[in-house]
Amino acid sequence: MGSEWAESTGVDYADNVKLIFKPCKLLIMINLAITFKRLKIVHIGAALAGTLLFLVPGISVAQQIDLLIKGGHVVDPKNKIDSKMDVAIVAGKIFKVAPNIPSQDAKKVVDASGLYVSPGLINMHTHVYAGSNVGFTDGTSSQLPDAFGPRAGITTVVDAGTSGWRTFPDFKSKVIDKSVTRVLAFLSIAGSGYSVDNAQENIDEMDVQKTVAMIKDNPGIITGVRIGRYDGTSWVPFDRASEAARISNLPLFVECHLPQYTLEDQLKRMRSGDIMTHAFENVSERMTVVDDKGKVRPFVLEAKKRGVLFDVGHGGGGFWFNQAIPAMKQGLLPNSFGTDEHRTSMNSGMKTMLNVMSKYLNLGMSVNDVIARGSWNAAQSIKREDLGNLSEGSVADIAVLSILPGKYGFVDSGNNKIEGNRKIEAELTVRAGRIIWDLNGLAATEFKL
Amino acid sequence: MEIQFRIIFLETLRNARKALPYLASIVLAVTSSLANAQEIDILLKGGHIIDPKNNINSKMDIAIAAGKIFRVAEDIPSNTAKNTIDVTGLYITPGIIDMHAHVLAPGRPHADAFSFRAGVTTIVDAGSTGWRNFPLYKSLTIDKAQTRILAFLNVIGSGMMSRFDEQDVNDMNPVMNANMISRLYPGLLVGVKSAHYWGDFTSVDKAVESGKLANVPVIVDFGEHTPSNSIESLFMKHFRPGDIFTHTFSEIQGGRESIVDEASRKVKPFVFAAQKRGIVFDVGHGAGAFNFNQAIPAFKQGFSPDVISTDLYQLSMNGAMKDMSNVMSKFLAIGMPLKDVILRSTWNPAKVIKRPDLGHLSVGAEADIAVFNLEKGNFGFMDVRRSKVIGTEKLEAQLTIRAGRVVWDLNGLSLPEWTMPITSN
Repeated sequence: MGSEWAESTGVDYADNVKLIFKPCKLLIMINLAITFKRLKIVHIGAALAGTLLFLVPGISVAQQIDLLIKGGHVVDPKNKIDSKMDVAIVAGKIFKVAPNIPSQDAKKVVDASGLYVSPGLINMHTHVYAGSNVGFTDGTSSQLPDAFGPRAGITTVVDAGTSGWRTFPDFKSKVIDKSVTRVLAFLSIAGSGYSVDNAQENIDEMDVQKTVAMIKDNPGIITGVRIGRYDGTSWVPFDRASEAARISNLPLFVECHLPQYTLEDQLKRMRSGDIMTHAFENVSERMTVVDDKGKVRPFVLEAKKRGVLFDVGHGGGGFWFNQAIPAMKQGLLPNSFGTDEHRTSMNSGMKTMLNVMSKYLNLGMSVNDVIARGSWNAAQSIKREDLGNLSEGSVADIAVLSILPGKYGFVDSGNNKIEGNRKIEAELTVRAGRIIWDLNGLAATEFKL
Repeated sequence: MEIQFRIIFLETLRNARKALPYLASIVLAVTSSLANAQEIDILLKGGHIIDPKNNINSKMDIAIAAGKIFRVAEDIPSNTAKNTIDVTGLYITPGIIDMHAHVLAPGRPHADAFSFRAGVTTIVDAGSTGWRNFPLYKSLTIDKAQTRILAFLNVIGSGMMSRFDEQDVNDMNPVMNANMISRLYPGLLVGVKSAHYWGDFTSVDKAVESGKLANVPVIVDFGEHTPSNSIESLFMKHFRPGDIFTHTFSEIQGGRESIVDEASRKVKPFVFAAQKRGIVFDVGHGAGAFNFNQAIPAFKQGFSPDVISTDLYQLSMNGAMKDMSNVMSKFLAIGMPLKDVILRSTWNPAKVIKRPDLGHLSVGAEADIAVFNLEKGNFGFMDVRRSKVIGTEKLEAQLTIRAGRVVWDLNGLSLPEWTMPITSN
């Protein structure tokens, strides 16, 4: 690990833009107009000199695009773009999305011909409070966000309640503040988060005021309140989580392992915008969304109609074809593709978020729809409308994806396999204008001795 | 079949006295064929096996029973196996050994998150911990992982906690280090690490002293001496044959001396002599230690590293390194033949760390196996200076088996296809 002189995984584009290229072009044109007017008069030489003076900085100003992603097919569901366009990045932000942005205006050009250019993906269900304790909270079951994010086109992960009001500050300083990937979090109503001891069962630790206060102190970073892992019959934990979410005007994120609550009662208590994860699980501790006859249960459809959102939350046990396929046919689609990435799920049928997205692509969902649910839909559900899109001025979080044709197998949590002919792969991932993943050296220069 | 055998068996019993020798041979045949039918858990059929230790590089089947390699042969019948996996068109190799990674201690990438998806079944941690803290991280990491994790023990008692700790000559204790290796964790601790030392040869010499006591190799990251020390002196005077020089293809302006001369781009003559002497050259790619302008001239002039490894850690994982199969593919791209790449990622590292039970597919060995697809296309491979070479082949781990268990199955090769059950309304 020596030679640890940090590799330049990308140019830091953040702070070297002083002038902007559009207004300057305008100035040049005005100057030219004046020049032509003056042609009638005698001061031609002076006018030309003035033009040159403007043109020279004009040329150098035109070079101010830090990174130009050229020739790709842009899918930006928020802005209803689904066509061949170029994307220019300046100072870590999206500067321009348009056809044929000239290459000579850019310091670095990446040829994305044949590739899709999408907003950086958002993984709605992860466990990234990695540490050295047993279990998830500050534990060895959680994963480093940077270990699986960049290589899957992910620029934002949302931690699913691995921390609570007691443990969030530690989580923030250890992981959130140190990761290249943007880390957001649902806060567990249990003060300790998702620890393996009985602390998370202790109702006294489920403090609405302290949860709300922690959310208030971390606006935009804490994106909702999570309820999960409670074995009792009391509805107090659920109701407190829901209350803290309501006060904070954020969604309630309902995870699993609530064996005493019926699915119907959970959904009834959920408001529009609340999120049910592990939507398509088929395990003993929760009723399935699809009944034995292959029909989506009416109260599930009713909840969906009211605006309850469903997240995949694939994990090791949370995704079954005998749920997801009939549900899809009957209109119950996931709003986001949370992977529930952790120690035991990562090498199972889940693998990566792109693998989960590829499953839906092969089940018949369109590329546009898959990308929408992997970016803009997810961003809206956590009230971070600044993310998941390529609007000019947004932070430049971008995924450049290839869709590989071939013969692929996709496996669910019951080790059932379906075959497919397309697979999504991340070629390039850009976070705040910086390249954080480059599979084939798209942005690299060819080696010469 | 069983009934037929039973009849033969009974008839034979009647003539037992006359036919005692026949009886014996029939009993043997019956038991062995029954055992065959019952014992093969997984049969990988139709693949091309590359097993450098056993000089196999041809189409063969491989049978696994009770977590071990049961048989390697042409055309092993499918009906003798509980689960037959069709691996036609794929390469079967011993489970890959990544001899240089950092997976112990908090904040490190998880071994299991990078190993199986790259065909790796054994990771050797390169000195993240020392004798003071290895037992703690063993219990936190090694004991919980599915990947086999071995380790070099840092000559510094506290391991790689900070660059300043690593300069503490008073914390280099060869006796404590050697005792932990050879008395407490033999086979699990496979060598001694010396790294990041800013001074003279003290750190190397202390590591070698421990290596002698424990009879294990030392692995040296010679990266940060100011001013830099002579690598010729390291190879020829301080190292024993079998000791390991890592970050072989590093080139840092004003930093550690390179193996390829920066002006002439010629491999320094003593480098060949050192390899001949038995010094082991390890890739240890990392975030800053793999330069094409070292690796390519070296390879063209006949110098190959003995071991291919990643130096996986937080800063290297998303850069040019990526994972073990990417680093292996990089060597394919610069012209190394596939069988040589596999040798340097299986049997060679097994020998270097004195674990001859690993890195091959001999009958009786633990069934650690990788099944690769050699993808064809145009792939870019970067070095740490972000220059790239284009290759036409890339290794992709399709299936990884650890001690007879499928631990990675990219496309569900080992699983039957699912069809939607027909439901009535």
